[in-house]
Amino acid sequence: MALKSLRELLDEFLTSLDTGSCITATRHFPSKPPRWAPFPSSLDPRLIDALKGRGVHQLYSHQHRAFELAEKGHHLVVVTPAASGKTLCFNLPTLQSLLQQGESRVLYLFPTKALAQDQLAELEELAKALPDLRMFTYDGDTPQDARRAVRARANLVLTNPDMLHSGILPHHTKWVNLFQNLRYVVIDELHAYRGVFGSHLANVLRRLKRICRHYGSTPQFIMASATIANPRELAERLTGESVEEIAESGAPTGDKLFLCYNPPVVNPELGIRAPYLGEAARFATRFLKEKIATIVFAQSRLATEVLLSTIKGAVRDKVGNSGIVRGYRGGYLPNRRREVERGLRSGDVLGVVSTNALELGIDIGHLDAAVLAGYPGTIASLWQQAGRAGRRSGESAALFVATSAPLDQFMVTHPDYLFGTPPERALINPENPFILVNHLKCAVFELPFVDGEPFGGVSVEPYLSQLETEGLFHHAGDRWHWTSETYPADHISLRTVTSDNFVVMDTTARDEKQAKRRQIIAEVDWKSAFAMIYPKAIYMVEGEPFEVQELHYREDEEKVAYVKRVQVDYFTDAISAKGVWILRRLADQASAGLLAEHGEVLVAEKVVGFKKIKFGTLENVGSGEVELPQQEIQTTAAWLAVAPALLARVSSSRDELVDGLRGLAYLLHHLAPIFLLCDVRDLGSWLGDQTPAGEGVVATYPGARARLLQAEQFNPTIYLYDSAPGGIGLAEGLFQILPALLARGLETLQACPCRWGCPSCVGPVNEIGRRAKAIATTLLRHLTA
Amino acid sequence: MALSVAELVGGREEVTSHGRLLVARREYQLHVRHGELPLRSALEAPPDVLKLLSRQPQPEPAPRRLLYLDTETTGLAGGTGTYAFLVGAGFFDGDRFVLAQYFMRDLDEEPALISAMAALLADFDGVVTYNGRGFDLPLLETRFVLSRRPWPQHLSHLDLLPPARRLWSSRLPDCRLGTIEARVLGLERVDDVPGALIPSLYFHYLRSRRAEALQPVFEHNRLDVLSLVTLTGWVARALADPEGLDLTPEEYVGLGRLWEGADEERGAQFYHEALRQGLPSPHRERLLLRLGRRAKREGRWPEALAFWNEAIASASGFDLRPWEEIAKYHEHWRRDLAAAHGVAARALALAEAEGAQEAAQASLAHRLSRLTRRSGLAIR
Repeated sequence: MALKSLRELLDEFLTSLDTGSCITATRHFPSKPPRWAPFPSSLDPRLIDALKGRGVHQLYSHQHRAFELAEKGHHLVVVTPAASGKTLCFNLPTLQSLLQQGESRVLYLFPTKALAQDQLAELEELAKALPDLRMFTYDGDTPQDARRAVRARANLVLTNPDMLHSGILPHHTKWVNLFQNLRYVVIDELHAYRGVFGSHLANVLRRLKRICRHYGSTPQFIMASATIANPRELAERLTGESVEEIAESGAPTGDKLFLCYNPPVVNPELGIRAPYLGEAARFATRFLKEKIATIVFAQSRLATEVLLSTIKGAVRDKVGNSGIVRGYRGGYLPNRRREVERGLRSGDVLGVVSTNALELGIDIGHLDAAVLAGYPGTIASLWQQAGRAGRRSGESAALFVATSAPLDQFMVTHPDYLFGTPPERALINPENPFILVNHLKCAVFELPFVDGEPFGGVSVEPYLSQLETEGLFHHAGDRWHWTSETYPADHISLRTVTSDNFVVMDTTARDEKQAKRRQIIAEVDWKSAFAMIYPKAIYMVEGEPFEVQELHYREDEEKVAYVKRVQVDYFTDAISAKGVWILRRLADQASAGLLAEHGEVLVAEKVVGFKKIKFGTLENVGSGEVELPQQEIQTTAAWLAVAPALLARVSSSRDELVDGLRGLAYLLHHLAPIFLLCDVRDLGSWLGDQTPAGEGVVATYPGARARLLQAEQFNPTIYLYDSAPGGIGLAEGLFQILPALLARGLETLQACPCRWGCPSCVGPVNEIGRRAKAIATTLLRHLTA
Repeated sequence: MALSVAELVGGREEVTSHGRLLVARREYQLHVRHGELPLRSALEAPPDVLKLLSRQPQPEPAPRRLLYLDTETTGLAGGTGTYAFLVGAGFFDGDRFVLAQYFMRDLDEEPALISAMAALLADFDGVVTYNGRGFDLPLLETRFVLSRRPWPQHLSHLDLLPPARRLWSSRLPDCRLGTIEARVLGLERVDDVPGALIPSLYFHYLRSRRAEALQPVFEHNRLDVLSLVTLTGWVARALADPEGLDLTPEEYVGLGRLWEGADEERGAQFYHEALRQGLPSPHRERLLLRLGRRAKREGRWPEALAFWNEAIASASGFDLRPWEEIAKYHEHWRRDLAAAHGVAARALALAEAEGAQEAAQASLAHRLSRLTRRSGLAIR
């Protein structure tokens, strides 16, 4: 039987009884022809020859414009879609400078090591025909004995912000050639630098510019970004320079159809919809069976593995081979990832299930269909993920499958909002005191700080004096000097992810007499480790289940999880105990019935056990306990305490009130991102009490609930906190928009068709109780009156 | 009234092209002993020994053209945020040894200190340090670059840490300079300030301006520089002619290792002296194997066999390595499979009798079965 075309398949989805009624919206994006421009007259002939050798005989208009602007000395940011040839926008000016000025140096920054490797490979292809290009990556993977050679030889260095921060700037005296002659700094994937990471990068760039000033260079910044609302503003805030924006792409695009799909309600009473993972897997399987190259985006690592094993099972051929579908996520080893990337480019791999790791510009060739299993959290990510499917000519499709979370339900039922809202502004706050002070330490470590020297937009004098009081700085002559034995960059991570990774080691072969070889099969970062690789956990790599035998996490140990391949039909989900306690109150607002405060809190979390969940049916088939250490962060939060009098008026039962408040916490947490333009995971929520921080003990939800019910003084408190240590300003923003958030919460509850509560409003009724929705509604009515 | 640093350490202000700093100078007569040896001993170092220690092909520095250098720093972290606030530099000048300590009274005197160091280094051909390769010199180079000055390229460098490791790592608990002073040079420091405390003492001084706590830091630095001198004297004398130094067998091995490569014959002499003086197990077997391997490389088979047999006799437990060497000799060199088989069989029997490690037994069994197959011999 002939294979169906993409268009035929989409028509089927739209018209079949089964799926048609669940498609809430379709949007068509018509194709666009290319706009060409000739090679600029000043472009080095050797470079033109090299381009012709690679089959490039003219440029797209945006590439031409980028070269022109760079040549005139402007800082610039190029904002064009995936696969529009944006790398030439920075490669042309940089290679030109290396060819024409022998001494000049160029620095490329990528958010990941993999992207730097990818880009190096592309540059090397182009550079084959060019003289004197000495291009190297310099990052955590560069062997110690090769580093000296890179420092001495390279005229083009590809690295990442973390390495610049901890490995290059604090050792700038070993990079004199680079800093004396730095002509261009290229920052790719600019949109990745939002929130904490971006706020850090802005400060790293302030340090970079100081060092360049010291050695007498003033580099030009060339940046590239996916579509966000404010690329120019972000570029200017990151670099502290005024920046030209190139937003019009001259590259052609093909026809594209975007569908929104809301899984059918299977239990109207409980408001339960068909599981979105199953629905997403079903669509992906349909595409793959027609040999349509497909990428599936999952919103978590676990969801990636569940989707992958379902899809693999469905597309397995007669001999049981399902290799045409691969998984891709952070934690897979670089080799495995490179293999998947190559497979996708060559066509050996037809489908890939990925986390947002593939949102970034890794070259995986062109795919025909993208299935978004769940709303990716931001409009910008939505377009980036959807943009992974699409060729310069021909058709492509994107399909968004909504989960039952409130945000997803809002988006899938308001397609005009989804398609009409500009992508989020990428927000950074380089002046976040926590972040700024840390980089000020690094800056002073690198080079004594002259009185009155600028560092970003604000006056840093108060911080300097503060740090002198703490004994880290010392003022002598007209300068501040570093007076501590520590190396400050070592203690400052630019990401929430720490560098302390666990390796996952497969010991399956160990018991069998032969091979004693132990194989590292994955890496897990410290923050996720306790929730993913606790003893007896099922850890999945490309859909294959492994059981964790031992986890070595103590300070004096190598961080390793020993796993063994097993045959099981379940996966595991961690149960954690938690606690949030107030450390410092910064502001409050009282209204009739509610005291809302904003300040600093301590959040502690501890994995205490796990549930076993069966594949397919997702039923709970067992549980277990684990003993692991507690993880703590200090961050900022907004918290709400409803006045006892109002609580008493709403219900006389503590049971009901606790359920209602917990439902309210769930609702507010999931709606807040609409106002704060952040990801749901950037926030955390918890229903606790006001026990002082020193006395608090973590508890699972049932434990915390029992504690509230038995407490002498009944003071349930809803905490909404910033997930990033130190906070990036989300809690303060939340505190300010609280009235609007409460109003939107009430609207959502009133509009939700479920009877007792569902994942789209206060949470699933089986977890939250039958009275939660009513209580939460009554509370909100009073609070917004 | 608190005393100033200058008063406490007997220094005075000196002027450079880049500002002022404090310099404390002392002079010593050459017969002054630091430990058991006099300072003069460093001047007696023969040229070939200095060349060996500086591990450089260029002409060896004359003893009077060497600067003995030790820095006190604000930490060990590396990078550009660590200062060398006190640099002790000693050199021979006529019939005196001069020890000058260059000190930053505050961190803004660094340009003056670097300027003074640049002028001083220009007057010498080489520097002597302890762990300078890993620490003092890269740090000073960083400070030079930060001050936008070129680091002098003409200097040869005698880092005494690598030879100290060769000589004493097997015998002493560690190779810190203090340990070697006590156990080798015969010097006991009294009330010495621990090195780890030095950065915080300096930071305390910067903030409080109370100089008392710095006095022991100057003293510590001064003793370090003097120890560099007599340690150079000791090592040079041991390498040249250790008569009268009363060396241990392990030290003879170390001297052999130092000479080996540069002067095989002298290396061999020291090795044989080590054996003659009763080098104990397991160092003894390690040396015999080393000598055996060298004899084998040079085709001196009878000697090699003698070393291996001696290693077997000397080992307290079963040692696989010499047996393997002998078996390989018979199999590959003499092509006498029967002899090789005999050796392997004897070794396996012995290994079993002595309860040697499983891996060793397995390796021998494997060898034996291969030899059996090749030679067509039946297992007896």
